[in-house]
Amino acid sequence: MPARLSVPQAMGMAALCLALLCLASLLLGAGDIGILPSLQALLGSSDDDARFIVFELRWVRTELAVLVGVALGAAGVLLQAVTRNPLAEPGLLGVSAGASFAVVLAINLGASAASLHLGVAMLGALVGCVLVLLVTRMRGVGDDPVRLVLAGAAFSGMLGALSSLLLLWDQRTADEMRFWVIGALAGRPLDTLEWSLPGLIGGLSMALLVVRPLAALALGERVASGLGHHPQLTRLGTLLAVAILVGTATAAAGPIAFIGLIVPYIARRLVGSDIRRTLGLSMLLGPSVLLLADVISRLLVRPYELPVGVVAAFVGAPILIAVVRQHRLPTL
Amino acid sequence: MSIRSHLQRTAAAIAASLLLTLPLHASERTLDSAYGPLTLSGTPQRVVALGDSALDAALSLGVQPVGTLASRGGDDVPDYLKAKAGKITLVGSVREPNLEAILRLQPDLVLASNDLPRELYAKLSLMAPTVVPKGNSFQNWRDTYLTYAQALGKSEEGQQRIAEIDARSAQLRQRLPQGQQVSVVRWNPQGPVIMSSHLFVGQLLADLGLQANELAAAQAQKPHSDVLSLENLSRINADWIFLATLNPDGRKALEDARKQTAFTRLKAVADERVVTVDGQIWSSSSGYLAAQQVLDDVEKALLD
Amino acid sequence: MNRTAPHPLLAPSGHHLLRLGRYSLLLHRRSMAIALILGLLLIAVATAILAAGDDTLTPWKALQAALGQGDALQVFLIQELRLPRLIAGLLSGAALGAAGCLLQTLARNRLATPGVIGIDNGATAFAVASIVAVPTSLAPSALALSGAATAAVLTFALAAGGGARGYRFIVVGIAIGALFGALTNLMLARSDMDAANAAYPWTVGSLNARPADSVLLLGIGLAAGLPLAKLLANALSLMRFSDSVAIGLGVRLQRMRLLTLALCVWLTALAVAVVGPVGLIALAAPEMARHLCNRHGVPVFNAALSGALMMILADWLGRTLLAPIEIPVGIITSVVGGPYLLWILLRQAPRSST
Repeated sequence: MPARLSVPQAMGMAALCLALLCLASLLLGAGDIGILPSLQALLGSSDDDARFIVFELRWVRTELAVLVGVALGAAGVLLQAVTRNPLAEPGLLGVSAGASFAVVLAINLGASAASLHLGVAMLGALVGCVLVLLVTRMRGVGDDPVRLVLAGAAFSGMLGALSSLLLLWDQRTADEMRFWVIGALAGRPLDTLEWSLPGLIGGLSMALLVVRPLAALALGERVASGLGHHPQLTRLGTLLAVAILVGTATAAAGPIAFIGLIVPYIARRLVGSDIRRTLGLSMLLGPSVLLLADVISRLLVRPYELPVGVVAAFVGAPILIAVVRQHRLPTL
Repeated sequence: MSIRSHLQRTAAAIAASLLLTLPLHASERTLDSAYGPLTLSGTPQRVVALGDSALDAALSLGVQPVGTLASRGGDDVPDYLKAKAGKITLVGSVREPNLEAILRLQPDLVLASNDLPRELYAKLSLMAPTVVPKGNSFQNWRDTYLTYAQALGKSEEGQQRIAEIDARSAQLRQRLPQGQQVSVVRWNPQGPVIMSSHLFVGQLLADLGLQANELAAAQAQKPHSDVLSLENLSRINADWIFLATLNPDGRKALEDARKQTAFTRLKAVADERVVTVDGQIWSSSSGYLAAQQVLDDVEKALLD
Repeated sequence: MNRTAPHPLLAPSGHHLLRLGRYSLLLHRRSMAIALILGLLLIAVATAILAAGDDTLTPWKALQAALGQGDALQVFLIQELRLPRLIAGLLSGAALGAAGCLLQTLARNRLATPGVIGIDNGATAFAVASIVAVPTSLAPSALALSGAATAAVLTFALAAGGGARGYRFIVVGIAIGALFGALTNLMLARSDMDAANAAYPWTVGSLNARPADSVLLLGIGLAAGLPLAKLLANALSLMRFSDSVAIGLGVRLQRMRLLTLALCVWLTALAVAVVGPVGLIALAAPEMARHLCNRHGVPVFNAALSGALMMILADWLGRTLLAPIEIPVGIITSVVGGPYLLWILLRQAPRSST
């Protein structure tokens, strides 16, 4: 697909978008305070309630949304590049399901420390990624884009059933487990940001390492080898990066699907398919999309809130349909 | 020959012979159930209680059921009934009652909860008379309790038990400070859920002169609210907050809640007026034994 | 083959030509043999399950009780509890097996199942809505039917147009399924525990005390649909090749696709209205049938028989493993079927996709 914008232009637009959405996230919410009081609180007024809501609730939540959004956006772009499949998405392919099931299992077996969840979630995401790897290797790259998605759907379905089974055995933790079925940004413990930041940095570092080899891989395995890269290592490295990123995001906010689908789609339309161009952009688009979904989830059913995963699904599914309706699937 | 007619004949024979010797209240009675009027006779010997309220009612009236369901907060009989229930056969869970297991117990009366689906009711009533009280969880708990009592042939005792609770409530009401507001809350990872004040516990609290918090009173359609945004946490505030947890050890829920600054800012929390209570009783069950427990909890919290 | 009159028709090897007056029917010998074996196996297993349980009866006694003879308690047990459940399991398993077979051929993909393309999710969402959200006088099973139909219509409408290749249809189905799934999650998250419990069978698939009229409707639908599926089988086996080959061989492609899809939705919707979402049967049953029959065909009948067998076995497992707690049949199939599905994906498969 022809590139429409240059990278600096697109990044600039995305950054502006992100800034605006961050502001919106700080000013809007399910609470009773209006926009103007929130704005005043930001600028330093002394209304206690407003200051509390803006700085202690919404600020933290916005930071978390940015973190999770960056992780999911980047993971989506990476996953699509390594599978050469525009339908690939950590949620659809069962990577998120693997992560959340691992946590559910751990909770069931008695673990409850939040930092433990991170490691467990990454392990679960890794299992999901291994599955992706096996399926793509067996079928050959670019064979049938749907097979991968179907495999992921089946895998998620199976894990969902296993979670239900666990729930049958121990209904006591039902409330807690429901959270791991569909993600939300609300009410996360305050230390979430602390332990998920290293995960994000680790994943992004890994991603930066594999960007150039991935771009070469898009030209074909032989060309990539000829250029001095190792296709196998590249794939493994990418999947490792995806596992770390998705594990971090899921441990922090539960499984949120479709972000990893929406972001690459938009990025491709803006700057074309080259991963060197889309990765950076996705790190700005990811938080934007997630913040948008989060703000919507806060405004729809005041004074209550919807889980953000639900809103993401409602936005993402039509985009999935739009992607597949294009007459020819864009090659990556 | 169906089981039911067989049993009815036996029961009729017993009733006929008993009529000559026993007072009248053990004989034929008609009660109004959710699926139509039901006529029962004789004293049931093998009762299966499906649901916490039914089990509570049976045990409080001195009837030992032969089977019950695992309660929805766990995989066993609710803790507060465990001692009285003793060794009782489990016939499935609230989600999936096991019909074969119930049949094996050969019940002559089945007490079910008021939301029993029609298909299950059809199958169960072929085995034994099945009592499904009218109304939903907003029903006055005394009506439901009396329905069970009537079915067990112990209407008088049932009335006595209710009178006991009412008397104790009235007494407690005298001793409590007036005009206090309360709210009953369950804590989810995403935020709190407030229980409607029109349910069993809410009814008891109202009798004690404790006013319902505004949001609780507004829950007239559903047993509890949706997950409240943390930004609106002030809406669960009241003079006293009862935090219901699904396991008797409420500490974890309280810890989780305390991790949220929004929670610790609440006036009730600052004043140390948050009480953890057994969610099994405070948000699920109803009946005489549950009522006694609730009154115990309130007495301990507000008067100590 | 006996020749009673000069006839140019010769059955290919492995087939038998059945002649009824002016009409003839080509039957695959092995498929028929397998069908017979499966049928007998099904009867045997069904009888065994009827007899098994914590009150184990001898199979002979169980059959007698089914007919109304014997101990009153046993008769009740068999007639009112086990037999209806068995029948519901057999019919829904057969319907799902047949539907899965049809869909896999339509989509030219072994992994396409009604569950994956969102029919199950649509049915669940509507049924759950009727229980927890929208007070309505219609039974949940009626709503499940409309939900399944809605999802299928949406999928088809959105996927149609511009070279309808199999995969577009599947992906749109996945998206629609995800939408309905999110809707269901939403409703369950906002409902209270009582309502969530009542809606539970519709979210996992259960055979516990299912409404009799839904089972009856399923029986009728299956009786009508299965022969129709077999009639379509010829054209379908041509569709396995590319579009141009099929058209060249005289298959009315669009019409055949539409008809097959409609039949598939019909069977699935009826089955889901009885048992809820039990997707893996529709995937595994055709696989088993194909494996046994050892040919690249569309073994609709054998898939139905396999599906019935799997369903009743899974239900029996669910009832026995953690007795007296029952594990719903949908969970058993997902837990057992999941690894099986992965195994299909990962082993070296034959070149063609069906």
